[in-house]
Amino acid sequence: MTDVRSYFSSRSNLLAVVMTALVVAYIGWKITESPDQALQFAFNGMSVGAVYALVAMGFTIVYSTVWFFDMYYGAAAALGAYGVFYLRSSETLGGLYEINNPIVNGIFALVVAGVVAWALHTAFYYRLRSRFSDRTLRITGSVVAAIAGLYAGIVLTYPKELHITLSPVVAALVATGVVLICRTAYIRIAGSDGLKVPTLAALVVGIGLGLFLAVWIADSPGSKLYLSWGVSCFLAGVVSLALYRGLYVYMRERARSPLVMLVATLGILLAFSALIVIVFEPTPRPLPEPFGNETMNILGAAIKGFNIFTIAIAVIGFLGLTWLLKMTTFGRTVRAIGDDEEVAKVVGINTTVIVAIVFFIGAVFAALGGLLSGHDTAIQPRMGLLLLLKGWIASVVGGIGNLQGAIVGGFILGMLEQFGIWDLAGEWRDVVSFLVLILFLSFWPTGILPRK
Amino acid sequence: MISQNVDQKTDLSEYYGIETIGITKQFGGVKALDDVSLTIPLFGITSIVGPNGSGKSTFVNLVTGVLPYDDGIVKIETNSFKVIHAHETPEHGITRTFQEVRLFDQMTVWDNMMVVLTNRSLLPSIFERSKAEHRKKTEEILKQVGMWEKRESMAGELSYGQRKLLEIGRAMALEVQVYILDEPFAGLFPQMLERVKDLLRDLRASGRTVVFISHNMDIVRELSDYIIVLESGKFLLAGEVEEVLNRPEVIRAYLGA
Amino acid sequence: MNSSSATTSPSVLERGLHTLREKGDLELYANVFIIGIAVIFTLWQGTGFAITLATVFCIWAILSVSLNLVVGYTGLLSVGHIGFFGIGAYGMAILTSDTSYELLRTEAIPQFGWPFFAALPACVLAAGVVALGVGAVFNRFRDDIYVLVSFGFAIIAFNVFLSWRALTRGAFGIHDVQRPSIGGWQLTGDIEFLILCVVFLLIAVGISWFLVSSSFGRVLKAIREDEQVAQVFGYQTTYYKLAIWVISAMMAGLAGGLFGSFTKFVDPNSFILLESMLLVSIVILGGLASIRGSLLGALAFVLLEEGMRFLPFLPDEFIGQARQVVLGVLLVLLMLFRPQGLAGRYKL
Repeated sequence: MTDVRSYFSSRSNLLAVVMTALVVAYIGWKITESPDQALQFAFNGMSVGAVYALVAMGFTIVYSTVWFFDMYYGAAAALGAYGVFYLRSSETLGGLYEINNPIVNGIFALVVAGVVAWALHTAFYYRLRSRFSDRTLRITGSVVAAIAGLYAGIVLTYPKELHITLSPVVAALVATGVVLICRTAYIRIAGSDGLKVPTLAALVVGIGLGLFLAVWIADSPGSKLYLSWGVSCFLAGVVSLALYRGLYVYMRERARSPLVMLVATLGILLAFSALIVIVFEPTPRPLPEPFGNETMNILGAAIKGFNIFTIAIAVIGFLGLTWLLKMTTFGRTVRAIGDDEEVAKVVGINTTVIVAIVFFIGAVFAALGGLLSGHDTAIQPRMGLLLLLKGWIASVVGGIGNLQGAIVGGFILGMLEQFGIWDLAGEWRDVVSFLVLILFLSFWPTGILPRK
Repeated sequence: MISQNVDQKTDLSEYYGIETIGITKQFGGVKALDDVSLTIPLFGITSIVGPNGSGKSTFVNLVTGVLPYDDGIVKIETNSFKVIHAHETPEHGITRTFQEVRLFDQMTVWDNMMVVLTNRSLLPSIFERSKAEHRKKTEEILKQVGMWEKRESMAGELSYGQRKLLEIGRAMALEVQVYILDEPFAGLFPQMLERVKDLLRDLRASGRTVVFISHNMDIVRELSDYIIVLESGKFLLAGEVEEVLNRPEVIRAYLGA
Repeated sequence: MNSSSATTSPSVLERGLHTLREKGDLELYANVFIIGIAVIFTLWQGTGFAITLATVFCIWAILSVSLNLVVGYTGLLSVGHIGFFGIGAYGMAILTSDTSYELLRTEAIPQFGWPFFAALPACVLAAGVVALGVGAVFNRFRDDIYVLVSFGFAIIAFNVFLSWRALTRGAFGIHDVQRPSIGGWQLTGDIEFLILCVVFLLIAVGISWFLVSSSFGRVLKAIREDEQVAQVFGYQTTYYKLAIWVISAMMAGLAGGLFGSFTKFVDPNSFILLESMLLVSIVILGGLASIRGSLLGALAFVLLEEGMRFLPFLPDEFIGQARQVVLGVLLVLLMLFRPQGLAGRYKL
């Protein structure tokens, strides 16, 4: 009881409660006024909020690990959306504006090759150094990295044959996934991995499934759009990783304050958004129609199947990230770095590798948010910065540095935006969300679910 | 003259500069200071001691308005305050230094001193450059702390001991009654140590009150007239140095037995 | 004989060379380099072009000097300054433009028909009043959160320009913004306008210099370094931050008024968030906490755009983007190697 009283005795807490009550009352009034439209707005808010939640989650996982704002996330979101446009430009605008630039392909191929080389180096070099000569290792690594880069270049150069070029990758991924899951499950159940037969069986099943999928995908050109999602998310993530490993690591050693990192990443965002304009021209572009783009009628509200899919992706992404952070060794390491990076280093964690992976994951989420919102509306070079800011606001609303906060904040921000523009025109949407931000920061700075 | 017992404060009321009545501070549910009622006399050198985490720095932060307290009252001379704002502390006759030296790093030593001296109100400060009296005072104090040669260098480029001295000097530039120094002796070389001790003695000689936090019992014994002991967020006792330091509960608090 | 006289009293040139050699100062090289390019440009392109360039430089210089007061001296990394610029420009456009002949075609907006010199103080005042309100809200934020809310201000301002059609005509923009005139003397020529801009730039630089060299400026720096300590020494830092914020916004409003009159056409696209980010990069590039640095940054920025027109492989429509890429890369390099910018005195 005393806690409650002391909570209300603080002026800003009281104001927060009053504001919340006012907002709830306004929404309640609107709902009674026209329930159908309210339902429609709620649906819209959910689907917009799902995108914000995705961006906010990617943002949160990075921010709560390294504690600086990486503005590259805006570029990652735009890259995700424009990557899909780039790969599928033959299907949009009736193929009138087909784009495939060897320079762009080359740059991404180089980045992929570099990241693969780095990954091979960190994963195998020190382990295998005792068994093979330095020269062999270096040459093999370079060759593998070059092949990976070449492969990425080929995939990007022939976007019309995406389903054929990518089928082996899908097969390999599925096979590895099946084997890993079987093995983990088997170890959980049987308690050891001494037996060869189940492992072998899993291997056979995995490879079989992978081959089947590869053939199936290679035979169905309709899968190209979804494969292009994967490619552009992967590329956005790889660029993020490369930026971290190639630049941020050195910059953080010198930086006196997080603002240095913020300004530097602002420079990166500026450069990327300008490059996007140079490659794609500044006009808004559509993305090809995904599945479920026809509207359905649920309880009198029209909603696209795609929007439900977006919401589902956000929820699945949240569950996946939560699992990753809470259940796995990797997650524990990430949280340890977030708590105190120096201590984590002393304990013997290779922080660079872990943080690089975190940057990859974060950018993938941002790119996913970007391309989903691109399918919902249209894409334009400015969208990256706006999505980044919305994700940032969402994480402030939900509680900064907290994953649950990110998803809750995303959905709440989406809803508040929609209900906020009910009596205004849609163009005031950004104003509404920034007013929400300022109100939250002034009266409820910890957010809805503060980080413990 | 002063016993360890705070109940006698009525007899010595003319001496009491700062009095706290039941101030409490929580950090996320953990009570850093719990119902602390104590008095700091308005003369000589007072030291605040206690084991790590006993709330010494928090106490100082609350009294100088750097952190808001959750509950309680601070009385400064005859005025009671529910809230102390940091910018009002000089008006209350208090100034302080910080445990981790907090200088204006990217300003020169000279400017670090001048900031303390110049006009506090907005409009006149726009039309003020530096007055002769300010320059004189700055020169005097910089010479006193031995930083006159360094006046043009950036505060961030000084060595740790120099920074510590400059911070004390900066506090001394402000002519107030009470100087609260948070760990002025931590991490200093013996030579610097003597210098800081001298500064404290000078302040006492000029009739000011010095309050300092220290872990070094030898210095506490040597310098202080009055001593306040805190333990795990609670006020333990206060009084004259020898008397307090020989009390069994103080020894127990320190040895952790 | 000759040598002895040279050693006793070195010529100006020798002394200059000596400073160059001894100081080895990046700031000095940058000064010489950028101003040299400016001179070459003027000689090459003729006066008409140089006048336009110089006017654009003056406007950007007022803006960047005003922003440096906030970012460099007070340590508040505001990315929303373009909003005040826009308020100034729109104030000038709304107060002075003659839209009567357009009333049939598009939405009507209020028409005042004020003269330039009456509208300019109004612009400055409008920016100041808005800044007072905004600053009172923003004062409690710091560091990265401050960046975020200042982004918010820029976006809100842009959306108001775009969507409050009854006042701003939205995306159509406002045409026929007046050029200044005193009495019967029309200052419509470019050279007269340039002189006016230079005068205002000098005033802005003078005010800024007066502020930062005073005790007030010293307290601002102290607030930048450690706000809490400044408070402990008796400064009500909120008022100081608010004061410099309002002054800076008023200067930006002045720049906006000049800009509106200079281009004679104002539309929301001049005040997008991107411009604001470019402005911040100019200030950081030129040097934090250095008025000279801001002038240098603005000059470099203007020259960068015009200089890129002469790159043979760069199509004209990509100049803005190419400049943005260069600025972005420069920002990264500066943060790596020289976090105070070219001529700066404050490391971020």
